[in-house]
Amino acid sequence: MTDPLVLLQILWTGAATSSIFVLLTIAFSLTHKVTGLWNFAQAGFMGIAFYAMFFVLSELQLPLIVALAAGAASAALASVLTEIFGLDVLRARKSGSLMFFIFTLILAQLIIYVLTLLFGTEPRTLYKSIMWPVRIVGSIAISNWDLQAVAIAIAMVTLLFLFLKTTREGQFLVAVSDNAKLAELYGISAKRAYRVTAVIAGLFICAAMYLAGTRGGVTPNSSFELVLAATIATLLGGMGRVFIGALAAVMLALIQSFSVLVISSRWQNLLLYGFLFVAITLFPRGINFRRLKSKPKAAASAPATVGKPADVAQST
Amino acid sequence: MEYILTIMVLIAIFVILSSSYNLVIGYGGLATVAHPIFYALGAYTSALFAIHFGLPAVVCVLAGAMVAVAASILLALSALRVSGDYLLIASLGFQLGLLQVIKNFEFTGGPGGISAIPNTITGPWRTPAYLLICGGIAVLTVWLIARIVHGPYGRAIKAMRDEELAFSALGRNPITIKVVVFAIGCGIAGIAGGLYAFYFQYVSPDQFEVLQSAAMLTMVVLGGMGTTLGPAVGAVVLIAIPQAITFLNLPPAVMAPVQGIIFTSLVLLFLFLRPSGLVGPLSRNRMAGRTALQEQSEGAAE
Repeated sequence: MTDPLVLLQILWTGAATSSIFVLLTIAFSLTHKVTGLWNFAQAGFMGIAFYAMFFVLSELQLPLIVALAAGAASAALASVLTEIFGLDVLRARKSGSLMFFIFTLILAQLIIYVLTLLFGTEPRTLYKSIMWPVRIVGSIAISNWDLQAVAIAIAMVTLLFLFLKTTREGQFLVAVSDNAKLAELYGISAKRAYRVTAVIAGLFICAAMYLAGTRGGVTPNSSFELVLAATIATLLGGMGRVFIGALAAVMLALIQSFSVLVISSRWQNLLLYGFLFVAITLFPRGINFRRLKSKPKAAASAPATVGKPADVAQST
Repeated sequence: MEYILTIMVLIAIFVILSSSYNLVIGYGGLATVAHPIFYALGAYTSALFAIHFGLPAVVCVLAGAMVAVAASILLALSALRVSGDYLLIASLGFQLGLLQVIKNFEFTGGPGGISAIPNTITGPWRTPAYLLICGGIAVLTVWLIARIVHGPYGRAIKAMRDEELAFSALGRNPITIKVVVFAIGCGIAGIAGGLYAFYFQYVSPDQFEVLQSAAMLTMVVLGGMGTTLGPAVGAVVLIAIPQAITFLNLPPAVMAPVQGIIFTSLVLLFLFLRPSGLVGPLSRNRMAGRTALQEQSEGAAE
């Protein structure tokens, strides 16, 4: 029987670590919601944000605030430039989804290769030491990193929520995500919405990479696993449900953390990919707990309206 | 000279791979990116059979193809319930998951892979002999796929790809055709894996990662998706050009990323300058057509 204190410690550490996944999932999911694209190029932007901060902090020896500004600006700029010179061109050509997939995946790889050439494959951290002061609260170790991670995640999620709910620009994003053509009829520029989304995604990516780089080593290649985790959380949360995707990211991180009690840590990634496969084949529109609860009743009353996943996938 | 012949063997293997992938994605319309895992299964199975059972190379390669076919049916039956982007990502999950399994088992050599695969052809004619075998199988693959897609079964495959609903309305079962196309394509990828394992005598999980998916996809799309010769041309161009810098004698730490940069830059360049593919203008029109079809079906669903 595992000590309850150990379980609580895993719960807390898992929740704190999930902050990185939450921020990346929001960047990925918001982009998918507004543009309708699985933007795997975000793996490249993660690398750009991290190495920009690393360069400013370690090579130029400038303060953290400058590093954060450089990371955010470079990730947002890369994201917007990709939007203008890549995705917009493919949209104008009415390219198929395969072209977008290839473009984002290959762009991410190109960025990763450039970063590998510039910075090598050694894991890098933003600070020379990543040992954070720890305090014991009720027998649970809580580090300063945990506190800042949770605080940053909560602050950024709240700001995004307020931005989408209360500002005109935020409501434009929601309108474009609902129906871009209809939104344009009302004078809302879809292109502008895509670019604003790119900037927001860049900011979230930068925050996530700051947390990742202050907790452990980052290599140019590590961003691919992160973007896949964001994809899984987006899928589990359901298309277009950005904040539920963030909750799914917390759940995924907790499942991964608790899995060390039953399986070896080297199998943890398999758990992640297993989730990806199961999520997309069984829940292509995400898990809808309300629908699951009322399924027998709904199935009895309107069986003809229940579509196959393939139909569902095409209609989303 | 040996180096150039080795590159030619690699090109022949990639012609087999990209042509078989074209059957699945170009003719079958099944948007999966998991092709490298079937290539890996072929390579690993052949290597393990040769090392542990000492079977002849032909039997090992065929066993690799069989394992790839079995795995492809497993993926097809579960993942073909979804389509489009969703199938792409499901197949990515399948590929990365299986790779993780390969990386973690000891009998597959873990992350280090398997070395010392028995040498089946020895002597100074080893590489030319392999080039002959791989080149022959590459030509045979392109011919076989051309025979399939230009015959009655090929017309059924293309009808299923272009209008699945109408195809079903005619009483045909699209799932059966999808599974068969998938199994043939993946089986051929398994054969390519076996050839790779026996020629290079070393396989590791890194050789079958996501970049390999992107590379194969790119060979097919930029060569000319849905054309018989396009993927072969794509494989030749995208394997040969990045190798040219090998003669610059750069240090290994610089060589790999520079080759990667050249490869990915070429892909992006072709993607924007020649989106219809190097062979035949058909694919761009067809892809645009498919987009329109998708839009129509989406509109109908809404």
